[in-house]
Amino acid sequence: MPERTVTVASRSGLHARPAKIFVQAVARQGTAVRIRVGDGKPVPANSMLAVLSLGAGHGTEVTLDADGPGAEEVLDSLADLLSRDLDAEEAPGA
Amino acid sequence: MAETAPLPLDPRAVRLNEEADGRDDAIRRCGEVLVEVGAVEASYIDAMLERERSISTYVGEGVAIPHGTLVAKDAVHHDAICVLRFPGGVDWDGEQVAVCVGIAARGDGHIRLLSELAQILLEPEQAQALREATEVSDVIRLLQPSREEPSE
Repeated sequence: MPERTVTVASRSGLHARPAKIFVQAVARQGTAVRIRVGDGKPVPANSMLAVLSLGAGHGTEVTLDADGPGAEEVLDSLADLLSRDLDAEEAPGA
Repeated sequence: MAETAPLPLDPRAVRLNEEADGRDDAIRRCGEVLVEVGAVEASYIDAMLERERSISTYVGEGVAIPHGTLVAKDAVHHDAICVLRFPGGVDWDGEQVAVCVGIAARGDGHIRLLSELAQILLEPEQAQALREATEVSDVIRLLQPSREEPSE
């Protein structure tokens, strides 16, 4: 299954605001994406509670995986999103 | 009661029968409770409202987690949460909120707090128990972070 490992760039980590932006972006893709920290259990990336439960701070490496058509592109765009400081940006489309 | 609470949840910060006239009013109530228990300065309340306007803190399961912006960290005296239950529900941009967990955290404290809270709410039975809690002790017990740690 295609994967991307990326370091969380948001200053405050993958918590409420950056997490929401990320979860909304996943939901728009319509592809099942999972996220995990290290060797932890992968959780659905379109669930706010699941993403928050990871406790991923600034600088935490997270791994995304997805399957199916377009998975590579979806993962690229989501990895790109996480590698930006989402605290410093307006929510896209929100 | 010791001057500083060892747990981020002070029993005095649990309010089970709140009413609010909309989202902002509910957030103000959360902020006021955090002020009352000495966790934040009053200026933190405006930061909570500002954060909410920027992006909703609704997380699912009828729960919202209002908290301040990064700039407001200086208004935080110590990490704390408050739990306000709104039996009548609060309209939260179209979502129905039954419980607000207000969060005050300095530094990276919020990451751990949010993670613990999210892990609790991911269990539907626990989320329901929180929404329907009628005793402060029930809420405290539900939100004890160190009950069972999953084995690494």
